[in-house]
Amino acid sequence: MDDIEGKVLSNRAIAPGYCLLRIRLSRSMGAARPGQFVMMKIPGEDIFLRRPFSIYDYQKGVLTIMYKVVGKGTERLSKTPKGASILTLGPLGRWFTVNRSASPVVVAGGIGFAGVYSLIKTLRGNSSIFFGCSAINEISLLKDAMRFHPLVATLDGSYGFKGNVVQLFKKHLKGLKDKNVEIFTCGPDNMVKSLKQLIEPYKIPCQVLLEERMACGMGLCFGCVKKTTDVQEPYKRVCKEGPVFDLWEIFL
Amino acid sequence: MGNISIKLLGKRLRNPVLNASGTLGYGIEIEPLWGIETLGAYVTKGLSIKPHHGNPTPRVWEERHGMINSIGLQNVGVDRFFNVYFPFFKKKKAPIIVNFFGFTEDEYIACAEKIKPDRLIAALEMNLSCPNIKAGGISFGKEPRMVFDIVKKVKAVTKIPLFAKLTPEVRNIVDIARAACDAGADGLTLINTMPAAGFDAKKKNIPLKGGLSGPVLKPIALRAVHECSKAVRVPIIGVGGIMDAMDAVSFFMAGAKAIQIGTATFVDPYAIPKIIKGVADYLDANGYKKIDDIIGTAHER
Ligand SMILES: Cc1cc2nc3c(=O)[nH]c(=O)nc-3n(C[C@H](O)[C@H](O)[C@H](O)COP(=O)(O)OP(=O)(O)OC[C@H]3O[C@@H](n4cnc5c(N)ncnc54)[C@H](O)[C@@H]3O)c2cc1C
Ligand SMILES: Cc1cc2nc3c(=O)[nH]c(=O)nc-3n(C[C@H](O)[C@H](O)[C@H](O)COP(=O)(O)O)c2cc1C
Ligand code: FES
Repeated sequence: MDDIEGKVLSNRAIAPGYCLLRIRLSRSMGAARPGQFVMMKIPGEDIFLRRPFSIYDYQKGVLTIMYKVVGKGTERLSKTPKGASILTLGPLGRWFTVNRSASPVVVAGGIGFAGVYSLIKTLRGNSSIFFGCSAINEISLLKDAMRFHPLVATLDGSYGFKGNVVQLFKKHLKGLKDKNVEIFTCGPDNMVKSLKQLIEPYKIPCQVLLEERMACGMGLCFGCVKKTTDVQEPYKRVCKEGPVFDLWEIFL
Repeated sequence: MGNISIKLLGKRLRNPVLNASGTLGYGIEIEPLWGIETLGAYVTKGLSIKPHHGNPTPRVWEERHGMINSIGLQNVGVDRFFNVYFPFFKKKKAPIIVNFFGFTEDEYIACAEKIKPDRLIAALEMNLSCPNIKAGGISFGKEPRMVFDIVKKVKAVTKIPLFAKLTPEVRNIVDIARAACDAGADGLTLINTMPAAGFDAKKKNIPLKGGLSGPVLKPIALRAVHECSKAVRVPIIGVGGIMDAMDAVSFFMAGAKAIQIGTATFVDPYAIPKIIKGVADYLDANGYKKIDDIIGTAHER
């Protein structure tokens, strides 16, 4: 783990409002595990704090980030040209741990896909993948995962199942719930909440990648906490004890 | 290289650069990047007699030239700090300054009493920005009288040198500084964060109120250091918005004996080692032999 300078190789839109950024790091950041993230210093004096982004891919010295433009920082990032230099601190945080005896199921919504793609890749097709987004024009986010045959839901029904990803997952729950499965998930709060509600009766093991506003990204400030079931110290740092948590130990 | 070691209340520190309380976790978190012994001394996260869970999120908010935090003083409590984390500093022989707080006078006193003198404890630092719940929630640091009383009571129960850390949200910080010194404070840390509010333009609400830190705070801190160091004789630690070595130098020249770095570490996790080196380089480049040669030089005229 270190703070490493990189040069932008490419930074292009892959769907309306979504971009893929590739950075060549000037040296190795060490092994990056699925679910880990980096804190990125977005070029420009007016973006004061760094921004957390999941490591979408990292190989041969090239770090790839998939991001959604949601505000000032990501807006600025989307305008960062090829050749620009960017500092990234990472890899940070606790990662997804795969339990060999259970069959993995991945449930992702929208840009949450960026958080689970490296896991999907590590599992090499040995997982059932459920993905949800608003419409067909966002399907291109899934490009790299298409070879693993994801099941897709769109809210408007323009591609795959019509509805949200949890509704789609529910249709398959019957077949899964009595098997030895483990769920890995990342997505909007509402998605994670309704997924939790759905699988609550079956207590299916589930690891969730959570987001929270961050300042330091490495456990220094205690700004990024989530409330857990731990009575002694309920608030755990998303950047240090997370971002991957046991769903059953988290208050959403 | 210029000699940047300092003597702070009788203790020799390798350099005058410390972290600001609450901005370097429990100390161990930074180890993957640089060793804690790099610091003149490690200042602990604010500790209290009982553990505190802290506030719900959002706890941090970005501003154009700084940030607002509302951590709510989450900490494991003074006992657990000494059981779990202090051994790490012992092993490294790295000196610490123990920052602590309370919500009543009794809590401050109990906490100070708990901390036994140790070769590695360079000082205590009492955070006076806390609300006094027995006085309707007004902060301990706001009135000279309240500052005098609490500092005096804490001094009575400890033999460890005591720094009083002041809030900038006061009518006249020099009066507060004098009250703390009259009560026996051995030094002052200036300043804590400034009360502020963040605005969420998407949700059109105020998601948090908390303490403002970072570059926006620097000129306020610099003024406090300058005025108080002229008014009192005790050593002053300057803190607030220091981002680079030149900022650090300005605090020394304004009268600070040592400085603390907080928010800068979030922007650049190597800010502290860079500033230490930068200060030494500055001394060399400008023909100063030791750090003491620049302390308070901006007082003249
Ligand atoms: C562990 C982790 C991994 C993430 N991975 C990705 C990813 O792979 N791709 C992606 O597009 N986004 C990801 N995010 C969310 C991303 O960090 C935010 O969308 C981004 O910080 C927004 O910045 P902004 O300036 O555009 O938005 P603004 O709303 O203008 O940001 C203002 C402040 O709020 C913070 N903030 C706003 N939204 C979020 C959020 N959802 N989570 C955390 N902080 C937020 C910003 O960091 C900034 O400090 C991740 C977040 C976390 C915590
Ligand atoms: C996240 C965070 C937590 C803090 N926690 C404490 C604390 O526990 N006790 C304290 O006295 N000051 C605390 N402070 C205040 C800092 O120590 C410092 O006085 C202030 O941030 C100004 O310095 P800076 O601009 O360099 O950050 C905290 C500041 C931040 C940003
Ligand atoms: S962002 Fe600072 S502790 Fe997590």
